[in-house]
Amino acid sequence: MLLRRVGFVCFSALYTVLAFTSLTVVSHAEGFRPVSPEELKMTSETLAPGAPAIILYRQVDRDDNGLTSHEENYIRIKILTEEGRKYADVEIPFVKGGNDVVHLHARTIRPDGSIAEFDGNVFEKQIVKARGLKYMAKTFTLPDVQAGGIIEYFYTYDFKEYSLYESNWILSQELFTKSASFSLKPYKGSLENPFTVRWTPRLPTGTQPPKEGSDRDHTIRMEAQNIAAFQVEDFMPPENELKARVDFVYSTEAFEPDADKYWKKVGKKLNGQVEAFVSKKQAMDSAVGQIISANDSQEVKLHKIYDRVQQFRNTSYEIQKTEQEAKREKEKEPANVEEVWKRGYASGNNLDWLFLGLVRAAGFEAYAVYVSDRRNYFFNAKTMDRNKLDASVVLVKVNGKDAYFDPGAAFTPFGLLEWPETGVPGLRLDKDGGTWIRSALPLSSDSQILRKANLQLSQNGDLEGTLAVTFTGLEAMSRRVEQLHSDDIEKKKFLEEQVKEYIPAAVELDLTNQPDWKSSSQPLVAEFKVKIPGWVSGAGHHALMPVGIFSAPEKHIFEHANRIHPLYFQYPFEKLDDVTIDLPLGWQIQTVPPPQDNDGHVVLYKLAVEKQGGALHLSRKLTVDLVMLESKYYPALRNFFQVVRSGDEEQIVLQPGTASARN
Amino acid sequence: MKSKSSCNQGLPARETSRTLTLACAMVFVCLMAYVPLAQAGGDAPLWMHSLTSAPLPAYDEKTNAVILYSDIDVTVLSVSRVRTHVRMAYKILRPDGRRRGEVFIPFNSPAQKVTSLHGWSIPAQGKDYEVKDKDASELAIPHVEGSDLINDVRAKFLNIPASNPGSIIGYEYEIEEQPLVLQDAWTFQESDPVRESHYSLQLPASWEFKATWLNHAEVKPTSSGVNSWQWSVNDVKEIREEREMPPFDGVAGRLIVSFFPPGGPALNGFSDWNGMGKWYSNLVSGRMEASPQMRQEVATLTGTKNTSLEKMQAMANFVQHNIRYVAIELGIGGWQPHAAPEVFSHRYGDCKDKATLMRSMLREIGVDSYHVAIYTERGAITPETPAHHGFNHVITAIKLPDGLNDPSLVAVIQHPKLGKLLFFDPTDELTPFGQIRGPLQANYGLLVTPGGGELIELPQQASSMNSISRTARLTLNADGTLKGEVKETRLGDRAATERERLRTVTKDTDRIKPIEELLAGSLASFRITGASVINQAKTDLPFGFNYAFESPNYGKNAGSLMLVRPRVVGNEAVGLLETKEPRQFPIEFEGPGRDTDTFEITIPPGYVVDDIPPPVDADYGFASYHSKTVVTGNVVGYTRTFEVKELSVPVNKADDLKMFYRIIATDERNTVVLKPSP
Repeated sequence: MLLRRVGFVCFSALYTVLAFTSLTVVSHAEGFRPVSPEELKMTSETLAPGAPAIILYRQVDRDDNGLTSHEENYIRIKILTEEGRKYADVEIPFVKGGNDVVHLHARTIRPDGSIAEFDGNVFEKQIVKARGLKYMAKTFTLPDVQAGGIIEYFYTYDFKEYSLYESNWILSQELFTKSASFSLKPYKGSLENPFTVRWTPRLPTGTQPPKEGSDRDHTIRMEAQNIAAFQVEDFMPPENELKARVDFVYSTEAFEPDADKYWKKVGKKLNGQVEAFVSKKQAMDSAVGQIISANDSQEVKLHKIYDRVQQFRNTSYEIQKTEQEAKREKEKEPANVEEVWKRGYASGNNLDWLFLGLVRAAGFEAYAVYVSDRRNYFFNAKTMDRNKLDASVVLVKVNGKDAYFDPGAAFTPFGLLEWPETGVPGLRLDKDGGTWIRSALPLSSDSQILRKANLQLSQNGDLEGTLAVTFTGLEAMSRRVEQLHSDDIEKKKFLEEQVKEYIPAAVELDLTNQPDWKSSSQPLVAEFKVKIPGWVSGAGHHALMPVGIFSAPEKHIFEHANRIHPLYFQYPFEKLDDVTIDLPLGWQIQTVPPPQDNDGHVVLYKLAVEKQGGALHLSRKLTVDLVMLESKYYPALRNFFQVVRSGDEEQIVLQPGTASARN
Repeated sequence: MKSKSSCNQGLPARETSRTLTLACAMVFVCLMAYVPLAQAGGDAPLWMHSLTSAPLPAYDEKTNAVILYSDIDVTVLSVSRVRTHVRMAYKILRPDGRRRGEVFIPFNSPAQKVTSLHGWSIPAQGKDYEVKDKDASELAIPHVEGSDLINDVRAKFLNIPASNPGSIIGYEYEIEEQPLVLQDAWTFQESDPVRESHYSLQLPASWEFKATWLNHAEVKPTSSGVNSWQWSVNDVKEIREEREMPPFDGVAGRLIVSFFPPGGPALNGFSDWNGMGKWYSNLVSGRMEASPQMRQEVATLTGTKNTSLEKMQAMANFVQHNIRYVAIELGIGGWQPHAAPEVFSHRYGDCKDKATLMRSMLREIGVDSYHVAIYTERGAITPETPAHHGFNHVITAIKLPDGLNDPSLVAVIQHPKLGKLLFFDPTDELTPFGQIRGPLQANYGLLVTPGGGELIELPQQASSMNSISRTARLTLNADGTLKGEVKETRLGDRAATERERLRTVTKDTDRIKPIEELLAGSLASFRITGASVINQAKTDLPFGFNYAFESPNYGKNAGSLMLVRPRVVGNEAVGLLETKEPRQFPIEFEGPGRDTDTFEITIPPGYVVDDIPPPVDADYGFASYHSKTVVTGNVVGYTRTFEVKELSVPVNKADDLKMFYRIIATDERNTVVLKPSP
């Protein structure tokens, strides 16, 4: 069993064993560390130019002895600017009775080395109090904090007896860290019930990974220097993948150093659970007979089953019920797919397993697959963390090829997966433990926003007409999920706001159709009456029309020249514009911009403006066919979007008739 | 306002607290996981069931919920004990109304105590639900940067089951309090329409009250017993939030009720602004005595200064920059400042602490000054507002020494008794001595004087004090590349905004970002070739950005023509009125302002100007915009001026403002057409 969860886990059986472990709580008996003249004198840090403050020293010493478990924290911060003084306001969260904060000491060291003693006024703030829970914080601020000064404090987390808490060292902090020291005395369990611990480091270059000591406690230690401040950027991968950290995982099972063996074991166990849930052959045979016909092609059979499963009530997408409501409704987790079929509702996961049972009953070779959701983490099998394999999909062999399905993800079109499950490793389960696979990444053409407009230019420069926006694939799915619990009024407003965001000018629009919000097999189509006042401007005898009618989303993308993190998109996508504009009687097209064709392999931009008799036809295509891009390619991608913006700013030169375009 | 210039001053129960709601939302997800299992509920009470058959007026399709019934019953037991009983019931009409079932009851601990709390739901179908006190959770606001370090604002949270469209949900609670002030505010107008709302008051024998209606016609109370009254309103329209609208308190229907024991206001009561001034003066009394260390600091700061202005500036600079903003607001500490020596020795304090220290130090050089309580959004307090605790910030009014007429001192009024008063905000680190931020201008504050107090209007500064002045000399190449330099000078809030952005930058390479964002707002592609910041820390001097850039393909080839937009950088047009719904409330500008752009573009050899955009002269009274493109030889010159002259645009002029912004947007897109030289 793996134990790694936020909060605590109680082990009453440990009590006698723990009596033999060390009960000494070692606090910072030595108090504050001496301050060096260099620390006092420093006015900046060359590795963190412009930083308002830096962490000079940080120490985290954890003792998981189980009985008097505790964690000592020490932090020393150099204040470099007036803004950096804010780090003197400190809030230390804790759970009352769970990990109380004790032995708190703090002080300010003025730039001249004199000490401003902390008056000890620590406020204990109750953040949340509910039955059985008191989430608190110790809050304090330090006196006489000045740029050039140093603040420091230390405290101890005193963990509840007989509890084992999640343990990790997060090296990356909001501030640059000059030097840090970490240690963990791991919990060892008892002779009858031994515990093992393993750790996964993601460390800055040059940092030596943690090492287990030869001392009695097998203390794990690590030192680190010059850890960059963590920064947030647009389009970056999950923070957990970027922060330097070490995660510890306890296990009651003997440490399995071979990842392949570990996952075989996990796979067998998961396979047993899934097969026990799915193996209701008679019920599934009967059910599938109600869905498909013998004459259906393989593709049609699969499609029918998929559609049928998606029609089930999916409890994973329902508004969270209060416990009273849940209790009154008496809905229980189904024990197997037969119960799911009979009840007509289930969670998303269990609907996937129903799909698995049905497709097998229809004669398909199909497998349960656990994949790793890439919303918060990227999977690494070597970490041997079963919890990271956290999403279910179904692999079906279709004409000899692997196809992945997740009917338990609401509104996911047939043949696609929801984006966090795409392009990720997964374990295809079987009785031998399974095989690693990688789920498919959709094509950009699978998820489109198509904007088709028929517009009329008025004498005074207004564009007016109709617009149909078609969302396909994951573009449709995400909007359907987002608006699942909204009413028609809210959905209308949502779509109108979306279109407003496309057009870089004031716009008047009105949704004129009833889009299909319930289907996953049909695109989401929204039709509008639209008017863009003053889109065409006049300059003497010329009238000028910008071509980028739907260009607003690209206006502010990648504004900055510097980039730290890789770029990360949820899924590949495509935007297609098809616009026809009729000109007022007597108006002439003087010039149209040259076509744009910028193919950057993973990104593509095409723009063409053509004369069609007395009308104009604009077509634009923007494709982003990537999910992850190293930061070294950022300048090229930024340049690409500059080209896109520049192309969108091209103008058509018109010659008005008897009347000029009005400003 | 995001800067550290506002302090919460206690939070009376029942008043809508948007900050608290926001903060509570932060912990809500966490909390939901721990909401305990409630016992099987009983039926909703009769007062709720009686609402199920009540006819409802027709509400529009955007109405999320309607307040069917609201009843607030206040019993004043003594000067130090007040009991309030509240009943509320909603009918949920739309999915967005579900959140009405997430009930937050704010209170100040320990002065207020929620003694009972119940909630019920009558679903459209099925049995009623009930939740009780023990099902409630208690929340506090986690510390976020710039907010209070610690305060005593709490909220009880109750999650009412089946809060779905069609359900009637309701709750009932009672609060006992030791009032800091013998006053109450009944806000009967909310974001949902109100069908029926009542406010009852029970006073001890011989007590009196004073009631003032705000944003609603006066309603006379009915007597409901001995020294007992009730006010009722019906069918009150909802307030739907709009961008740039006046503060909620400035538009919501409210009744302010003050209670007086026999003989007049108690120590914790007042009947007018003068009385409130006295009350506040008592709180401040004794807090301004300077310590020897303070006197030493004053001597050090002023020793080399020759004039009283220089001395005041030195102290202002010290209090603004050397005293860190830290708010510790517990109990009366939400109103009462810490003693000046304490603030001085700790080198931290909140707005009222800083104001107190400033006053104390000024006193050491013989300059009189006063506390001014104010709300950080104009419009919450008006001359019609009765004296009440509706402020969230404290600044200083300094009595200028006779003969001091320095032009840098602009936030000045001539007080009929006190003479020239200069307003100064010691919390606002980015506004120089002599000026105040836009939201404080033409705002009303309580001037606290030794003899009492009065509501006064703060001055409105000239629009030119809050400005961006941009000049650019640029050259266009034949390939369409535009390059050159821009000098940008900023004053007032326009300067403070950029200083704030730069101050919070955490690494040197990010200092370029404000310029990148400015250019990205106007240029499709660009490369910054040089940049510098002028006077970032010297807040008494104009702030500036100087930058050079080149922008490929700025000039667009169109056949033999080249198209050039003369408005190179900067945007003044905003789309705040581009909504389908008709405007309900006035549009409020933060402050007056005046921006000017002067751009010169030298066109490439081989081209001449074929056409230029027409000039724009739009003056709507509240604001004006003028632009002009002229050609002088091979130079295209573009000038424009945008000025906000009035701080509020009434609803009947909202269409004018919309048109005004559209005119600006069109001008910003306008193009000069170049053609080959003949």
